[in-house]
Amino acid sequence: MTRPSIRLRSAGALSLIVTLIWLGTALVTARLLTSELDEVFDSSLQETGQRILQLAVVDVLGREEEGVTQRVMALDEHEEYFTYIVRDDRGRILLTSHRADPARFPAFSDTGFHQADDQRFYHESAVSGTVALTIAEPLSHRREVAREMALSLALPLVVMIPLSIAGIFYGLGYGLRPLVQLRAQLARRGAKDLSPLPTEDMATELRPIADTLNQLLARLDTAFAAERSFTANAAHELRTPLAGALAQVQRLRQTATDPESVRRAEEVEATLKRLTRLSERLMQLARAEGARLLTDTPQDLRPILRIVAGDFAQGADAGRVTLTLPDTPIASDIDPDAVAILARNLIENALRHGQGPVAVTLDPQGILTVENDCPPILPDDLAALSGRFVRGKDAGDGSGLGLAIVHTIAERIGSPLRLASPLSGKSTGFSASILLRGTPYQEPSR
Amino acid sequence: MRILLIEDDRVIATALREQAEGEGHSVDWAARLDEASEALATTSFDLILLDLMLPDGRGLPFLRSLRAKGSQTPVIIMTALDQVSDRIEGLNAGADDYLVKPFDLSELSARIGAVARRYSGNPNPLIILGELSINLADRRVTKATRNIPLTAREWVLFEAFLQKPGQLLSKPQLEERLYSFDAEVESNTIEVHVSHLRKKLGAMVILTERGLGYRLGPA
Repeated sequence: MTRPSIRLRSAGALSLIVTLIWLGTALVTARLLTSELDEVFDSSLQETGQRILQLAVVDVLGREEEGVTQRVMALDEHEEYFTYIVRDDRGRILLTSHRADPARFPAFSDTGFHQADDQRFYHESAVSGTVALTIAEPLSHRREVAREMALSLALPLVVMIPLSIAGIFYGLGYGLRPLVQLRAQLARRGAKDLSPLPTEDMATELRPIADTLNQLLARLDTAFAAERSFTANAAHELRTPLAGALAQVQRLRQTATDPESVRRAEEVEATLKRLTRLSERLMQLARAEGARLLTDTPQDLRPILRIVAGDFAQGADAGRVTLTLPDTPIASDIDPDAVAILARNLIENALRHGQGPVAVTLDPQGILTVENDCPPILPDDLAALSGRFVRGKDAGDGSGLGLAIVHTIAERIGSPLRLASPLSGKSTGFSASILLRGTPYQEPSR
Repeated sequence: MRILLIEDDRVIATALREQAEGEGHSVDWAARLDEASEALATTSFDLILLDLMLPDGRGLPFLRSLRAKGSQTPVIIMTALDQVSDRIEGLNAGADDYLVKPFDLSELSARIGAVARRYSGNPNPLIILGELSINLADRRVTKATRNIPLTAREWVLFEAFLQKPGQLLSKPQLEERLYSFDAEVESNTIEVHVSHLRKKLGAMVILTERGLGYRLGPA
C-alpha cells in the first residue's frame, strides 16, 4: 500500500486549516455585528418609545374621561415591528397600538429594557408614574436580520474556499517541483551509473538527502570495486600454487617409470583438476552475486565468445564446440567477464550432459544460444533445472554450481535464461538461450 | 626453439622448463623482468612465455614496451588472472596467445607449436615436402605411408629448417637449437645430425652452402 503523496497530505491539511479559519472569522464577525445591531435596535426602540410616550401624555391628559382604553387605528395596513401599550398608575390601559395584544405585555415597574416571551421591551413612565409606556419589538425580527447578515458573510466563502484549496494544491505542486526533478534525475540514470548527484542548485531541504544518497553511492562503488578486486586476487592467489602442483605432477606422470607411480600421479592430477574447477566455480559465484555486472562502456560480445569457445578447442572436447557469430559487432554493457562466465558454464554444461557437437550461436539481436544433442528432458525436470542449485540426473563430477551461476547472472542482468528440450522441430536435444544486449534502464514501477 | 621463460614461481618454472626442454627447445629462465630485459638484450629468442604478475612489475607494460620497440618475437602469456577482460587486454597488448593457470603441460606444448607455426607463415601442422609428409604437431615424418623415426635432436634440427623454408641457417644458429641437450655442443655435432637426416629422409632434403650454412632443399 502506498501512502498518499506529500502534496495531497499537505493540501488536505492546509485546506482544512484555511476553511476553519475562514469559518471562524465569519462566525466572530457575525457575533460582533449582531451585538452592534442589538445596540442600534435598542436605541431605536428607546427613541420610538420616548417619542410615543410624550404624545401619549398629551393625549391622555387632554381626555375628558379618565381610564378609558383607546386603540390607535391603523392608517394603512403595514408590517409593524413595534407595538406599544400605555397604562396609568392603577394598571388600566389607556392606549394601545393597533396590533398590540395587552395580554402579551407584562406590567413592568422599572424603567429600561426587558426581555420576555420572545420580545424585547422598553418601559418608561411620565407624569410621576401616572402614565407608563411599554413598547415591544419581536426578537424574531432581530434574529432574521442577524441570519441574513451571517448568510451574506458566508456566501463568499462558498467561492473562496474552493479557490483557496485549488491555490494551495497548485502552490504545493510548484513548491515540490525540485523533489519531482530529483526523482526524475534519479530515474533517468542507468542501473550502472553510480556517479554522485550534482548538489549545487539543490533546494535546502533536498540537499541533505542528496548528500546522504551520494555517500551511499560512493560506498556502493567502493564495495563493488573491493568485491571485484577480492575475487580477482583470490582467484590469482589460488591458481598460482595449483598451477605449480599440477605442472609438477604432470611432469611426474610423464617421467615416472613404474606403473604404480604413474597411477598415483594421475590420481593427484585428477584431484588437483577437480580442486581447480571447484575453486573457479566458487569464485565465479562470488562474482556473479557480488560484483557489478554492468559496465559503463559497452563492448562487442564477439571477441569474448571467441575466446571462451577457443578455450574448448584443446583437450578432450576438441572440435565439439562450433561457434556462429554475426558479421557486425554486437555491443553489450554487460561486464565481459560475466558474459564469459555465463557462456563458459553453458558450454561446459552442454559438453557434459550432451552428446556430439555443441552449437554456440549469437544472433544479430544479441541472443546467445547453446544447443546440444541429448535425450529429451521431461518438462518437470526442465522446470527443476530452471531453479537454482540443481544438478542434472547424470551430473557426474559437476559441481552443481554451473547453472546456478548462470541463473544468478541472468537474474542480476535482468534477462531471463530460457531452457528448452527437445529442440524445436526435433525429438531430442537441449537448448539454453539468454539475451545479452544488456539492460536498457526501465522506469521503476510506482 | 630458443624460449625465454619469464615466471617468478620456481615450482611452475622448473616444470615448464623441463617440459619444453623435453620437447627439444632450449629454455632460459628469468624470474624477474629486469633479468628478462637483460636476456633479451643479449640473446635473440624464438618465443617468450610471459607471466603477468612478477615481483618487479607487471607483464603487460613489459609486453607493450617490447612491442613498442618493434620486437616481433611471439609471446604467450601465462597467467592466473582468468578474467576475459584481462585476456582481451593481454591480446591487445600484443600477445600471440594466452594460457590461464593452471593449464595442462600438453596444452602448453601444443600452443607453443601452434604459435611457432603461425610465425613461420604456415599455421597448418601438415607439411608436404616432396615425398615426405610431415606432421609438426605429432612430430611424425612419413615417406610413402612409411613412418620414419627421428631422434629428438634430429627432429629439433629438422624443425628449424621447416620453420624457415628456403632461408640460410648458419651453423651457430643451428647449434643454439641444440643447447638444451648438451651443455657443450661439439664442433662436428651439426654435420653429424645433418648427415643422419639426409640418410633417413633423402640426400636433397638439406642443402649445404659451403662456408655459410645450410638450407631446406626440395627433398
